[in-house]
Amino acid sequence: MRSTRTAAAVMTLLFAASALSACGSDSASSASGDGTKVYALLPQGTDQPYGTEYLKAMNAEAEKEGLDLTITNSQYDADKQASDCQVAVAAKPDLIILWPAVADTVRPCLERAKAAGIPVTVTNSDVKEEDKSLTAGYSGPDTYGQGAASAEIMCELADGKDINILQVEGLTGNTTAINRKAGFEETIDENCPNVKIIASQPGDWNKDDSQTVTSEMLTAAGAKNIQGIYAADDTMVAGAIDALKSQGLDVKKMLITSIGNTKLGNPLVVNGELDGTVFQSSAWDGQNAVTLAAKVLDGEEVDEDLFMPSVKVTEANASDAEVTPNW
Amino acid sequence: MSTPHGINFGEAPARTRVDQLRRTLGRRTEGRAVALLAVVLVVALVMEPLVFSAYPVTLSRVALVGLVALGLTVVILMGELDLSVASTVVLAGVMMAQTDNVALGVLLALGTGVAVGLVNAFFVVKVGINSFIATLGMLFVLKGLAIVISRSEPIPLENITFAIQFGLPIVGPLTPRIVIFVLAFVLLHLFLTRMRAGREFYAVGGNRQAARDAGIPVDRRLVTGFVMCSVIAAGAGAIDTLERTAADPTAGSTVLLSSFAAAIIGGVALTGGRGSILGTLIGAFSLGTLEVGLTLTGVQVDIQQIYIGGVLLLAVMTDPASLRAARSSLRTSLHGVRARSTDRGLT
Repeated sequence: MRSTRTAAAVMTLLFAASALSACGSDSASSASGDGTKVYALLPQGTDQPYGTEYLKAMNAEAEKEGLDLTITNSQYDADKQASDCQVAVAAKPDLIILWPAVADTVRPCLERAKAAGIPVTVTNSDVKEEDKSLTAGYSGPDTYGQGAASAEIMCELADGKDINILQVEGLTGNTTAINRKAGFEETIDENCPNVKIIASQPGDWNKDDSQTVTSEMLTAAGAKNIQGIYAADDTMVAGAIDALKSQGLDVKKMLITSIGNTKLGNPLVVNGELDGTVFQSSAWDGQNAVTLAAKVLDGEEVDEDLFMPSVKVTEANASDAEVTPNW
Repeated sequence: MSTPHGINFGEAPARTRVDQLRRTLGRRTEGRAVALLAVVLVVALVMEPLVFSAYPVTLSRVALVGLVALGLTVVILMGELDLSVASTVVLAGVMMAQTDNVALGVLLALGTGVAVGLVNAFFVVKVGINSFIATLGMLFVLKGLAIVISRSEPIPLENITFAIQFGLPIVGPLTPRIVIFVLAFVLLHLFLTRMRAGREFYAVGGNRQAARDAGIPVDRRLVTGFVMCSVIAAGAGAIDTLERTAADPTAGSTVLLSSFAAAIIGGVALTGGRGSILGTLIGAFSLGTLEVGLTLTGVQVDIQQIYIGGVLLLAVMTDPASLRAARSSLRTSLHGVRARSTDRGLT
């Protein structure tokens, strides 16, 4: 009995030892650069499709730039990210890349980094306007521009004809949702007032909710009066298309646009159900987070946000290599 | 040598200091946690000395999970579970952000804790639902409430300057969170070891019928335990909210498992009656140091979870009770093999 217990205890010790020594060797292998240490505080990683591709691109670019990159994943827990941020500041890196888990909660982290003299660049989704002065720059999708690009596709499709469309928005209060909606609506007003948004409801980034609100809007406005739909992302447009089909409408005749060009949305464009979408590339996002960090480290002054180009994807280019969906 | 009553029971066995020490140690439940902590500290010293030079960070990580774990220990000692702690943390934070006055907010948060504890205790004690099921239900109810009340958006605190101040050290490297954590530890330790009501928690968890027969007010102790646990979780929620300057209905998702892990690694038996607050503290320290060490060296969170899960499994496996069970089942099967082989020999 005693010997079993001792053996088990020894096993525990060996296990814990291997845990820590494993991490020791990890850092040794990544420390191939010129010793420039960068911490990346992310809220997702290999646990999400977007994060998986993002990480690949980020690591590849860091190797090219010769940065010693340490990545954390807070799994969208703001407390965990705050703690990760403390750890990062204590490690005194040359720069911190921050992808806010929750934009409202990153102020203490930014203040801490500032007090320690560590510059912070922001990736994927920006901090709040009043916190921008604490950061050294932003790279990521231009959420307003994405809405605008989707509107431009819609205007081309309408081709001057008077049509009525429905809008499915993202999660209420979410910054991305607000910006995409503004980008879409303002561009429609400016470029093609012949397109009228006669109803608009939030689909909460979710296929089922989108299908439900689309059905409701179709019923309320009369399915015959609707010639098109814009949804703020590919997941929701898939729900909207299902709603149209279940009301017996011919999806291919309707004008439908969205944003994303994901592995869900791209095939819909190829088969002609979705007329156009806007590419949000996770690989671009991860790569440019490092590009921006390298610029700041080189002492370059970054005044403007580094925006992801909002590439339009329609049936004509949906199968091209440069718009192959990566998440 | 005679007893105070004058009856001679014969010579008491000679007790050396070593004997006494061995006896005291034999009663302790923290052994595995101490061993793990020693290994983590030694390996960290060699591999990542930053864990020590940045000890305020390690301390605050320990306090982040440790506070909830301390409260949880009280419930586990009584042989019950509280799965709703993480949701209590979140709901208390959201309640706190309902008012612009920080003091009033903290009171609201703690009040939420009392209410949650009473509801949990009501289901377990009065209705008689298994605490696993009752608090699992509460986990979802409270989380849903937090999301509904906050309209699923983070609520920034009005007084951001104070909140940011709250996250900064007051004495040396000690932030208010660490001070509160240490205070909670000392108070709970004294309560469970020096006060009658606290010591009765062990009896409630060890053998409930015997405790009832001995005249211990079991139901009242259970209610006290659940309320203590929830109030501590609510306090942790208030601290979290202040430190991140906003209440976030989705925060705290990683707290539940870590706090259970800290208690179990600390030698607190899930069956109740065995364990100590000190054990949970050491468990939280080993876990916190391991996490910070792994994070500092950039180990991906998925891999970290494998290590933490492994340590947890080993902690449970090296529990004396499970070892005994494993040994006897091994012996039985060996016995069977031997018996069969002799049978064959006869025919």
